[in-house]
Amino acid sequence: MKLSPRLPALLLTALVVTACAPQTSSNSSSDKDDKTGTLRVWLFQEVGNQPKKKVVDAAVAAFEKAHDGTKVDVEYIPIETRAQRVKAAFNDPSSAPDVMEYGNTDTAGYVKDGGLLDVTKEFGAWTEAKDTDPTAKTSVTVDGKVYGSPFYVGVRALYYRTDVFKELGLQAPRTMAELAETARKIRAAEPELYGLVVGGAYTYGAMPFIWANGGELATGKGGSYASAISGAAAQKGIKEYTSLFTDDNCPAAKCAGMGGNDTITAFAAGKAGMAIGGDFSHTAVEAGKVKGKYAVVPLPGVSAGSIAPAFAGGNNIGVLKSTSHRTLAVQLMEQLTSKTTQASMFDAMGFLPTFADVRQRVAAQQPYVKPFAQTLAAGTKFVPASPAWSQIDSSLVLPTMFQEVISGKKSVAAASGEAAKKMNDAFGTVG
Amino acid sequence: MNLLRRPWRLAAEASALLIALVVAFPLYWMLLSAFKPAGEVESTEPRPWTLAPSLDSFRRVFGQQDFGRYFVNSLVVACSVVIVSALIAFLAATAVTRFRFRFRTTLLIMFLVAQMVPVEALTIPLFFQMRDFGLLNTLGSLILPHIAFSLPFAIWMLRGFVKAVPEALEEAAYIDGASRARFLWQILFPLVLPGLVATSVFSFISAWNDFLFAKSFIISDTSQSTLPMALLVFYKPDEPDWGGVMAASTVMTIPVLVFFVLVQRRLVSGLGGAVKD
Amino acid sequence: MTSATHRATRAPWLYLAPALVVLGGLLVYPIYQLGLISLFQYTQAQVSGGEPTTFQGFGNYSALFSDPEFWQVLLATVLFAAGCVVSTLAVGCALAVLLTRVRAVPRLALMLAALGAWATPAVTGSTVWLFLFDPDFGPVNRILGLGDHSWTYGRLSAFFLVLLEVVWCSFPFVMVTVYAGIRAVPAEVLEAAALDGASQWRIWRSVLAPMLRPILTVVTIQSVIWDFKVFTQIYVMTNGGGIAGQNLVLNVYAYQQAFASSQYSLGSAIGVVMLLILLAVTLGYLRLLHRQGEEL
Repeated sequence: MKLSPRLPALLLTALVVTACAPQTSSNSSSDKDDKTGTLRVWLFQEVGNQPKKKVVDAAVAAFEKAHDGTKVDVEYIPIETRAQRVKAAFNDPSSAPDVMEYGNTDTAGYVKDGGLLDVTKEFGAWTEAKDTDPTAKTSVTVDGKVYGSPFYVGVRALYYRTDVFKELGLQAPRTMAELAETARKIRAAEPELYGLVVGGAYTYGAMPFIWANGGELATGKGGSYASAISGAAAQKGIKEYTSLFTDDNCPAAKCAGMGGNDTITAFAAGKAGMAIGGDFSHTAVEAGKVKGKYAVVPLPGVSAGSIAPAFAGGNNIGVLKSTSHRTLAVQLMEQLTSKTTQASMFDAMGFLPTFADVRQRVAAQQPYVKPFAQTLAAGTKFVPASPAWSQIDSSLVLPTMFQEVISGKKSVAAASGEAAKKMNDAFGTVG
Repeated sequence: MNLLRRPWRLAAEASALLIALVVAFPLYWMLLSAFKPAGEVESTEPRPWTLAPSLDSFRRVFGQQDFGRYFVNSLVVACSVVIVSALIAFLAATAVTRFRFRFRTTLLIMFLVAQMVPVEALTIPLFFQMRDFGLLNTLGSLILPHIAFSLPFAIWMLRGFVKAVPEALEEAAYIDGASRARFLWQILFPLVLPGLVATSVFSFISAWNDFLFAKSFIISDTSQSTLPMALLVFYKPDEPDWGGVMAASTVMTIPVLVFFVLVQRRLVSGLGGAVKD
Repeated sequence: MTSATHRATRAPWLYLAPALVVLGGLLVYPIYQLGLISLFQYTQAQVSGGEPTTFQGFGNYSALFSDPEFWQVLLATVLFAAGCVVSTLAVGCALAVLLTRVRAVPRLALMLAALGAWATPAVTGSTVWLFLFDPDFGPVNRILGLGDHSWTYGRLSAFFLVLLEVVWCSFPFVMVTVYAGIRAVPAEVLEAAALDGASQWRIWRSVLAPMLRPILTVVTIQSVIWDFKVFTQIYVMTNGGGIAGQNLVLNVYAYQQAFASSQYSLGSAIGVVMLLILLAVTLGYLRLLHRQGEEL
C-alpha cells in the first residue's frame, strides 16, 4: 500500500483556504404581531407529566376562550434534550415556539444568544407581577431588563432523621458550627451512617456555606462581573464545606464524587443522618426507606437563629424573539404563570409558587413546605446573571475546585485562586 | 473440532458458561432493576432478586404520550438506514475490490478517516445542512446523516466479503455472456448477502441507539421523535428515575437482541467469509 | 489477494458514485466546515446571528496548546485508549478461541450474553455498571467483601472501572468477528498443528494469527477509532470527568470546554486535533503492516 502524498496536503488546503465564513442564521426579531392563529408552547416534560398537563390544559382552555381565533399547541420536551432543542430553535426560527419554559440559570445565556424577547414593559404593567418575590424576579432579569415571568422556584433546606436524633438525644442544629458538630456525633455513634452527607460535585449544596460566611461567587453588575470566589470570606466558606469530607463525617473517597442527587439517594436509603435537599426531593425521600422518620428545617447560618442564604433555583416562562404573535404570546406567558395557575401547579406537582402570598397560602395547607418557604423568606441568592455562568457551570469550575481541596491536591487558597482565574477568563470572553 | 481431550473440554465449557454468566450479569441487573418496585432499586441491601416484582416502571415507559409512535419511528429510521447503506456500500465495496484505479488507496484511507471524526463536533454543520434541505423535524434528518456515518465502516467491512468471491466466477459469468449488471445483482449480490447482514448489524445499532441527532434535529415536532427520547425523559437532573431508565432500556435492547438472534448464524458465517481469501 | 482485477476507468466511479455523493455531502462537507469553524470565533451568539463571526486564524489552536490541562488530558486519553484496545483485543481473541473449543450449548450461552452486551445502549450500560460497583448500593463490593470501597475515587481505579465497561460492550465485536474467522480456517490445518503437539498459544501465534491478519487488522483499527473517542462511559461513570477532572479524556474535555457552553470553535479545534491524531496512529499502523507485506 502506498500512501498518497497528496492526502495531507489536501487536508491542509481544505483547512487553510477559508473562502467563506461558517454558516450562521439570522435571528432578527419578527415585526409581525398577528392577533389570531396558532401559538406554539414548549414546556418541560416531567416524569409524571399527567398532572402538569391537566393544569396547563385548563390554563390554555381559558386563554383560547378569552382570545377568539387563537389555538395553542403545547409540546412537552424532555429536560435532558433542552439544550439542543433551544439552540436549534434559535437557529431555525421556523421550528421555534412562541413561548417556552426554561431553567432560570439559563436566562442570561439565552438573552446573549439573542433568543428571548424583552418584556419589561408588559411585565411592569401586569398587576399580579407586583407580588413576585424579589429573587424570582432577579432570575428573569438581565441588565435591568425583564426576559420572562417566573414559573416556580426550587430551594434547598436541611433534611434530618428524627429517629436518629431522638435516639442520640440531638437537637436540630442552629448554627453552621453546630451542624458540623452534630454530623460528627451521628457518625461517631452510628458508624454506618454519614453524619451530613455532602458531595464534592454538589455545587448548589455548597453555595450556602460560601454565602453564609459573607462570600460571593462574583461581584459586579451587568456585563462586568469579577470572580469573588478567592476572597477571604468565600475561602472561609469553602473551608467550612470541604472540612465535612473527612472520615468522621463523610469520607472523601466516597463523597468527593457525589452530586446533589447522590446525596439525596443516600439519605432516602437511610445511609445518612442529615442531607441538604430541595423541596423537589421530597417525593424521592418519601419513596425511600426513611419515610415518616425525617423532618426538614432551614439550613442554619453562621449565627444562631439565622438561615444560610440558599440558591434559588426554578424555572421561568419566556417569549421568543422570533414570535409573530407578540401580544398574544406575552398574554399567554402571563396566563401560564398567573397566581391561579401556580397555585394549581403546586397542588398537582408540588412546584413552589413564585408569588410570596400564594406561597404562604399553600404552606399553610402542606406542612412540608414550611421550612422551604422560611428559607425563601429569609432571602435567597442567585448565580451571576451573566452568560458566562453557563460556561463556568458546564466546564465544572466549582466542582473541580471543591474536589481539589477535598482530595488534598491543592490548598483552599490555590484551588480557589485557580477557579477565580477560570471564572474571570469566562467573564472576560463571554461577557 | 475435537482437538481437546475430555477433561480439558469440560473445563473449557465450564469456564465458557461462567464467563457467559459474568457477561450477562449487568444485563440481568438491568432487567431486575426494571422490575423492582420503587425504593428498592437503590437500597442498602442490594438483593439479586426481588420478592415483589412490579410493572410500575414499564407502565411509566409505555404510559408516555406517543410511545408507540416513537417505536415505529425508530424502526423506520433504523430499517431505512440499514437497507440504503447496505446497497450503496455493496456497490462501493465492489468498486474498490474488483477494480484498480487511481486514488483507490487514497479513497480507502478516506473511508477510514471519515470514521474518526467525533460526531458531536459535526452536529452544528449538519444542522445547517438539514435546515437548508428542509429536512429538520422529519425522520429524513435522522436517516440521511446515519447513512453517511454508517457507510464508511460498511464499505470497509464489506471489502473482505466481496474479495472472497472467486474471480474465476466472474470470468465464467462473462464468458457465459452475462452483462456486468447481471453479474452484479444476480451472482455477486446473493453471494455477499451474509456479509451484508453482518455489516447491517452495525448500522442498525448505531441508528437505533442514537440520541445525538434525534435531540438536535427533531426540534418542534414530537410526533417525529424516536425511542431514545422516551428514555431520556427519565434522566431528570435532580431526581433521575432509575426504575424508568432500566425499563426503557430493556424495551430498547430487546428489539436489537431479537434482530441479533435472527441474524446470528448469518453474522458468524458472514464475518467468517471475510478471511476466506 | 486481488490479482486479475480490472483496469477500468469509468466503471468503478459509476459504482462509487452513490457513496461519494452521500459521503461528500454529509461527511466531507461538514468536516470542511469543522475545520473552518475552528479558525473563527464561533459561539452560539454567532450561530444564531446575534454577533458577527470574526476570523481568528490559529487562535483557538494556540489557546488549546498553551493550556497545560489539554496535554494532561491528551496523555491520559492515549494511555486509556491503548489500555482499552489491548484488553478488548485480548479478551475478544481469547474468548473466540474458547468458543471453538466447546459444544453448542455453552457456545450459544456465551454468544447470546455477548450479543446482549453489544446491543445495550451505552448510556444504560454505563449506568448499570456504576450501580454494580456502587460502594453503598452495589452487589460487587458485597461479593468481593470490599466493604464500602469506592471505585471512582482513585484516578487509576476509576479508569479501570470504565475500562471494564468499555471492554464489556466492545469485546463482542472482536469475539464474533475473530470466531467467524477461525471457523473459516480449514480444520485440517488446525488438526495438523495439534498432531504436531503444538500448544494452544503456539497454534494461535504461528497458525491462526497469520491467517487471521486481515480480520485482526480491521478489528484493531476499529477498536482504536472507537476507544479513542470514548465519551458516554467516561461522562456517565465518572460524573463528567472524575474527581477534579482526573478522568477526563479528549472527547469529554471537548464537550465540557466547548459544546456544552456553545464554544463551538474551540470544540471544533479539539475535534480537528483528535482527527489528526487518529489519522497518524492509523496510517502508522497501516504502514507497519505494509512493510510486513500486507495490502489494503
